[in-house]
Amino acid sequence: MKVRIRFFARFRELLGSEIMEEITKGTSLAELVRIIALRRSREGYDALFDRGGTFHPFVIIMRNGVRLSPPEAEHVQVSEGDDIAIFPPVAGG
Amino acid sequence: MLSEKERERYRRQILLFGEEGQNRLKDAHVFIAGAGGLGSPVAIYLAVAGVGSLTIVDNDVVELTNLNRQILHRDRDRGRPKVDSAVEKLREINPDITVRGIQTTIQERNIRSLVEDVDGIVDAMDNYPLRYLLNETALSMQIPLFHGAIRGFNGQATTIIPPRTACLRCIFPHPPPVEVFPVVGVTAGYIAMVQANEVIKYIVQCGELLTNRLLLWDGLESRAEEIKVDKNVSCCSCGTGREETGI
Repeated sequence: MKVRIRFFARFRELLGSEIMEEITKGTSLAELVRIIALRRSREGYDALFDRGGTFHPFVIIMRNGVRLSPPEAEHVQVSEGDDIAIFPPVAGG
Repeated sequence: MLSEKERERYRRQILLFGEEGQNRLKDAHVFIAGAGGLGSPVAIYLAVAGVGSLTIVDNDVVELTNLNRQILHRDRDRGRPKVDSAVEKLREINPDITVRGIQTTIQERNIRSLVEDVDGIVDAMDNYPLRYLLNETALSMQIPLFHGAIRGFNGQATTIIPPRTACLRCIFPHPPPVEVFPVVGVTAGYIAMVQANEVIKYIVQCGELLTNRLLLWDGLESRAEEIKVDKNVSCCSCGTGREETGI
């Protein structure tokens, strides 16, 4: 089963822009992102997750254009063809 | 009514949206929150477009480290209040409009009076607490809010038209960690142009606004992408969360 994960802004610098990932059925969205982040960059992982492995509250998680809260991302299972976007708010002006 | 001089000054854009559109710009009052990286180019382009009244608010003075991106200010302005420096330049750029500078910190006790007769608020702030305050004020007074933010080569922008579109809290319920953000001036310029363009379209009533969409600019990859965003029914600023949190 294949899904697409896109990172934006600072997350893109740390983890890469677009990743096509082959995953097993039943994987949660948060678990998928943890696996990818750990494999790619420790700094990238820390930018996304706290010490307990939970998404930081400010991280924006979108699945097929629909926003998920960090707790929802723990439960939602990814499906074939899903398009996942992960990005931080930027603050400067 | 436009004067002969104004017809001449704005001739190229009157070709685009007619004297009616130009009159709308002339009659408009836009509030720019911040005279920094975003506020400078937004103010310059709204001034040259002929927005009749601009109010620009900032509490800081010009510092050397501002000058890589805050293009209203010059080396000689170091130590001057940013609003004084900004008003001087904007009046030079277009003496046919009214520019007002207010040196103050935007806060809960003054924001409503600052924006009471404006047609739009430009978010050119550098922190989320003040952005959330602008958002709350825009929602309660039903004033459009033109959001922009930058970091490094990255930027984001969206347009909020209360009460019908997603608000800033719907999109960003939690602020990112506070930091001294890295930035290059061109990022501020890019996002500021999106904001100024939105303001002009809103006033002139043309095109399609950047509502319920978040534009994400990646200057390193030269890529602009867009994320669809919806109103969050439980949003603590415009949804059911508002009652729960007592905001």
